[in-house]
Amino acid sequence: MEIKLINARSNPMEIGINKRLLLMIMRTFIFLLCTTVFSFNTETTLAQEKVTIEVDKEATIDEVFEIIIDQTKYRFLYPKDLFKGAPKVHLKKGTIRVDKLLNQTISLSRFNIVVSIDDVIIIKEKSKQQQQVSGKVVDEAGIPVPGVTVLIKGTNIGVATSFDGSYSLTVLNPENVLVFSALGFAKQEVTVGDKTVINITLKEDVSELDEVTINAGYYKVTDREKTGSISKVNGSEIENQAVNNPLETLQGRMTGVNITTTSGVPGSGINVRIRGQNSIMAGNEPLYIIDGIPFDSQSLGSSISSGGIIPRGSISSLNAINPASIESIEVLKDADATAIYGSRGANGVILITTKKGKAGKTKFSFSNNTGVAHITKKMDVLNTEQYLEMRREAFANDGITDYPFYAYDVNGTWDMNRYTDWQETLIGYTANSHKVQGSISGGSEGTRFFINGMYQNETSVFPGKFNYDRITVNTNLQHSDKQEKFKLDFNAGYTIEDNFLPGGDLSYYAIYLPPNAPELYDESGNVNWEDGTWNNPIAQFDNKYKNISNTLFTSLSLSYKLANQLDIRLNAGYGANMINDYVTSPHTAYNPAWGLTSANSMVTTNQGNKKYWTLEPQLNWEKSLGMGKLNILLGGTFQSQEFNQFGVYGIGFPTNSFIDNLSAASTIIINNEVATQYKTQSWFTRINYAFKNKFFLNITGRRDGSTRFGPSNRYGNFGALGAAYIFSDDLKIDWLNFGKIRMSYGITGNDQIGDYQYLQTYTINSQLYNENIGLQPSRLFNPEFQWEENRKKEAAIELGFMKNRLTFSFAYYNNRSSNQLINYSLPTTTGFSSILSNLDAEVENKGYEFEIKIIPLKSKDFEWTSSLNISQSRNKLLAFPNLENSTYRNIYVIGKPLSIANLYNLKGVNPQTGIFEFEDYNNDGQLTASDDRKFVADLTPKYFGGLSNFFSYKNWELDVFFQFVKKKGYNQYRVSEPVGTMANQSVDVLDRWQQPGDVADMQRYTTGSDPEAFDAYYRFVQSSGIISDASFIRLKSLTLAYTLYLGKENETSCRLLLTGQNLLTLTKFQGGDPEQMDGYLPPLTRLSFGFQLNL
Amino acid sequence: MKKIIYKRTNIQNRTIVLWYVLIFFSFSNCNDFLEIDDPIGQIPHEEVFMNETTATASITSLYGKLRDEVLINGNSSGMGVLMGLYADELDYYGAQGDFYENLFFHNVIASDPTVESIWAKAYNLVYMSNAALEGLENSDQFSMDFKNKLRGEALFVRGLVHFYMVNLFGDIPYPKTTDFIMNSQIHKIPVNLVYENILEDLNEAKSLLGDEYISGERIRANRWVVSALLARVYLYMGRWQDAEQESSNIIDNTTLFSLEIDLNEVFLKESRSTIFQLKPGNSGSNTEEAAIYIFDSPPPPFVALSPNLIEAMESNDLRKTEWIGEVSDGTQSWYYANKYIQQFNTGTSMEYSIVFRLAEQYLIRSEARANQNNIVGAQQDLNVIRNRAGLDNTLAITQEELQQAIVKERRFELFTEQGHRWFDIRRFGIASQILEPIKPGWSVTDILFPIPESELLINPNLAPQNSGY
Repeated sequence: MEIKLINARSNPMEIGINKRLLLMIMRTFIFLLCTTVFSFNTETTLAQEKVTIEVDKEATIDEVFEIIIDQTKYRFLYPKDLFKGAPKVHLKKGTIRVDKLLNQTISLSRFNIVVSIDDVIIIKEKSKQQQQVSGKVVDEAGIPVPGVTVLIKGTNIGVATSFDGSYSLTVLNPENVLVFSALGFAKQEVTVGDKTVINITLKEDVSELDEVTINAGYYKVTDREKTGSISKVNGSEIENQAVNNPLETLQGRMTGVNITTTSGVPGSGINVRIRGQNSIMAGNEPLYIIDGIPFDSQSLGSSISSGGIIPRGSISSLNAINPASIESIEVLKDADATAIYGSRGANGVILITTKKGKAGKTKFSFSNNTGVAHITKKMDVLNTEQYLEMRREAFANDGITDYPFYAYDVNGTWDMNRYTDWQETLIGYTANSHKVQGSISGGSEGTRFFINGMYQNETSVFPGKFNYDRITVNTNLQHSDKQEKFKLDFNAGYTIEDNFLPGGDLSYYAIYLPPNAPELYDESGNVNWEDGTWNNPIAQFDNKYKNISNTLFTSLSLSYKLANQLDIRLNAGYGANMINDYVTSPHTAYNPAWGLTSANSMVTTNQGNKKYWTLEPQLNWEKSLGMGKLNILLGGTFQSQEFNQFGVYGIGFPTNSFIDNLSAASTIIINNEVATQYKTQSWFTRINYAFKNKFFLNITGRRDGSTRFGPSNRYGNFGALGAAYIFSDDLKIDWLNFGKIRMSYGITGNDQIGDYQYLQTYTINSQLYNENIGLQPSRLFNPEFQWEENRKKEAAIELGFMKNRLTFSFAYYNNRSSNQLINYSLPTTTGFSSILSNLDAEVENKGYEFEIKIIPLKSKDFEWTSSLNISQSRNKLLAFPNLENSTYRNIYVIGKPLSIANLYNLKGVNPQTGIFEFEDYNNDGQLTASDDRKFVADLTPKYFGGLSNFFSYKNWELDVFFQFVKKKGYNQYRVSEPVGTMANQSVDVLDRWQQPGDVADMQRYTTGSDPEAFDAYYRFVQSSGIISDASFIRLKSLTLAYTLYLGKENETSCRLLLTGQNLLTLTKFQGGDPEQMDGYLPPLTRLSFGFQLNL
Repeated sequence: MKKIIYKRTNIQNRTIVLWYVLIFFSFSNCNDFLEIDDPIGQIPHEEVFMNETTATASITSLYGKLRDEVLINGNSSGMGVLMGLYADELDYYGAQGDFYENLFFHNVIASDPTVESIWAKAYNLVYMSNAALEGLENSDQFSMDFKNKLRGEALFVRGLVHFYMVNLFGDIPYPKTTDFIMNSQIHKIPVNLVYENILEDLNEAKSLLGDEYISGERIRANRWVVSALLARVYLYMGRWQDAEQESSNIIDNTTLFSLEIDLNEVFLKESRSTIFQLKPGNSGSNTEEAAIYIFDSPPPPFVALSPNLIEAMESNDLRKTEWIGEVSDGTQSWYYANKYIQQFNTGTSMEYSIVFRLAEQYLIRSEARANQNNIVGAQQDLNVIRNRAGLDNTLAITQEELQQAIVKERRFELFTEQGHRWFDIRRFGIASQILEPIKPGWSVTDILFPIPESELLINPNLAPQNSGY
């Protein structure tokens, strides 16, 4: 930039090329501009001076200035080309005051005019009112800190400090606030004002906790001030994991939260238990809240259509949430945090917050991932030689020399030299996945937006062309008015899932099919039935399962600041989930010997619909009281949900190609038609008092009404008290920079039972008779049942050492759940197998949660963060009135956990007879289930947790996460057939009894025709012999990332990402994958490579 | 200026607060918010018994249950398949290791899910009968005649269910109320008491029901249907005179009943020899029996008639050709029951699943007469059946010979119909003699099913378990 300096009676002077000098001059001018009063109005300085215009004329502005200079004492200072090209000024003949002339000449709205003491009139263009700020950033020891981000607040304009800690940047106006931030240092903010040099001394971040804001649902709280137990996982830990369901990303990462998948099939349900099983019978599902609105997680699937492939037909509706759209997930665990959710908080609350837009430059992001997946672990089963040896020995043991006609595997019907690894053939394929994703975000301080879209396609590990497709769109819009009084936050997400799977899971067949079973397909490519000697499992794949789900969830939050201390807010939400699925059962899936035709083909359809809305008016009042601060929240919730389910069988089609057209079916049978409503109405409050910023008291309460209970039992009251004390402030110990103890106590409830259970009704069914409807009693009814209550206690300590490079927390909790809602098992002589009622039974969950986080290394280029969490929990049935005479006598034991198995105690194989022997507890010489199944196997995990290590070196990042679980579980024998029958077995059965004197683990082989061995085997599968240690350590996730910075100021970056899931499993467990023991598809190992481009 | 702005804001605030408060209280003042609609697909209990159609549906649903899932249903969970395999009637060719195979080899265990299911479904139907009986009792909407007929049908179903249950499980409970507290602690009662209860129900039913078939088709119980069951019950009890009496009632009613001479017409839905049959639910559907027994090509996919049955039949027995189908692979033959032949939907239904037919009544009377030493009468009834099958008169002349001839004839006449063969060899005490040589897993205690283990665990009053389990 060039500056024009016009002196009296001199020519304009060009100032040299030296930019530094120029800058200095500029800065001086800016300084002057800022410090001098904008004093053009002060008429005393200019008013007395007048100039005379001799004739009417047109003059350039520069010429006008020349006239003024000629006739007055004033000189001008302004950039040389400032008025270049400006329109000429029309001057009238006569005398005019200088100020008026200037007014006519230049627009005051565009230019600042300042008169300095020495009569220099300085003119500067207003829009170019930029200001150069520079300075140096040092740490407390005075050593320059490089790499500190200096950002103009609310924008993405900024620079980083250089190696000597210095920086320089141009600000737009003096009100701008500079934010200085660097890893490991406390953030600092400085208003620019008139400063041109801002030197900063950064303080090491001793209390990062202050800044971590935790979402507690109806309110936000900092980590430092929280009184309750809330765990948080950030989006950055979630988005990189190559899984479909966001809940899977939490496995092992949070204390007290035990998450297990039910199957490796996409869309399957996920079990989440927060601090154990509280309810004996009612639901143990946590409450899910997405962006403030409850998200009903209950599956819309029907076991009739999806039960074959998805365990219990339970389809997780959380699959609709794209993990990459999540900003954070918070899990509320104790009474203090959950009581505000009242009747639904007993099993914990999972809060999902989706990503929001940020003000500043519009950002584009695009990512592309490709991956492969495979089952984690196969079971070691017998090969053909070992298998046939087992079979022959079994026949020999049973004294059968002529193999019967149906013993196809050993009598020569099947090729005895064949060998197929059925696990490889039926579930061992490699699934491919592909995911593309894009997002745009940005906006101004007032209005911000975020849009994310994702498309994903994944094939399956089954043979054949199956796939899972998903499209998700997430949007966020935020707005606030200028005074930040009115605020709006709108979120909407829409997901379409298209899941195409075989009608049945073949994992069971994969293990138990004889290794010499025939080919799946004959030479001409048709399903091979081998003359009807087997049920070819591949025929199951003619049964196709197709599921299309649509999920919409929206939330809107409006708030208005009525006064400084008073906010009103309205949260509203609407959501709709729809599932349409069907499973086909064409006649070709059955042995052709049946002589079936397409007239027997069948399709089973299911439509599930759920619509819900929520309205939550709230008032929030905040007031400083003496040394403290009081915060009161009042609110109400009105929620309504409608559920519809409609299932139809269509039977008989002209050809199988019409099988998915219900209208082509010759017979249509309505299987079920259900429509239910569920409403809740509640009021809640939270009173929080912070004293001297170190004592915190939090009181929450809620009154809930739910239509799940009979008219006289609809309302319940819940509440909690939490307190925290930050003692480190008073202790002033050098090495302890943070220390807090907190405690809470409260009551929450559980209403997770079906709707309308209190009504005595008849259900209309499809069993028409003589053209009249089918009617059957719906249930044994009980109009009197009430809420289940859960009393939660917690005490915790949180510590930070070495400037919080080592943090530690330890919590103890004790939850007691009473007034248990029990689907009380009844003998079926009552007509039904259960009735819903309250029982004065009490279940205790107590445990310890331990978390340690350490930053062993932190330097300019290298950082290592490590964290470990361990949860130890004990579940115990404390009381169960009249258990001895109840239907649960042989299911539960007082003083033992709920998830136990009462089994015979296996004593081993009798070396003489070769038969399993069991403990006869009552010594009556007989083994009876009621008296001798007294071995109690505890199937609750003893402890579980995760170990996370994060390394970053320059542009490289490595995240290694291990999950571990210590537990016992059912082994491979639980669903097995007697060893020696026509079913393959795990290699463990080779250690068997063969002749008297043998000491072996497995009893003598039998084909099933030796009643003694047969009976013993059936007791064996109900004995301690089916329990094994199923503990494991798993390399749950691994992420390696490299970020390439491009462009000016690193605005553009490209991140290359290699991620893996379930990569390695260390376990002693012999029955396949230790997490998947139900005969369903084990979890998948996934490996994915991708890039993310940020513009 | 400033002041004015302040005031304006204040007014705005008040308006907002007002709106807010209105919204807030428009909900909270409304106590009706928690009122919800009745669930679709469900009818309140009381309403069912206020309307003739729904009250009738509560009764016809009992037949629907029998047809589709309880005891005498024609599919793979009905007595025909299950007890056919358990006796010497059917051979098993299906998947290895499932319940059918265990049944076939007599390896049934107390925790077997199919046994549990038989039990649970039977008692669910008993509950439905009891609920209907109570609903009718408490309703003042209907005429006495309407009420009586429905009551009679419910009692008939309750008796029928218990008749099968007592023959499967021995001592069983006999619930007569819907009170779940009583029913959950119910004791089992000895076989003879169960029979007395059955008789009580059936005799009351007989007195309440009319002579005519309610809907024209022979698909709902009337007095004759109850008699047919009574004849069988008396026969099983050894009350020969009563059995003869009941069967004679039916046989003598020639206006309603007569034997179809053409064996191909016996199982048609219009057959005049049918006393009671279950109508399919969907128009054009036929029986489950046809779908489950018939197969097209070898080897059998599920079950086939035992070759022993075929071999035991006389070579000129017409039933061998008319009621039995054969499938051969050239070297070996397999046989299936071909009584019901319509496997698929026929537009208009042609066959219903028959529960009682006249031939059984002849055989009942023959047996009852033989046991009363009425040799001639017994021979006459037996010969009616034999002659129709193209066979000569029986050569049996002593009571013992006749008894043997009747067991044999019942085997050939009633095969694959609701497990007759098993119940016959059981009550004649010849199960061991017949099954021991052919079923390696047979033991004497297999004469009864185990009481489901889960039931015993929950209700100790059902103890003791049947011996052998």
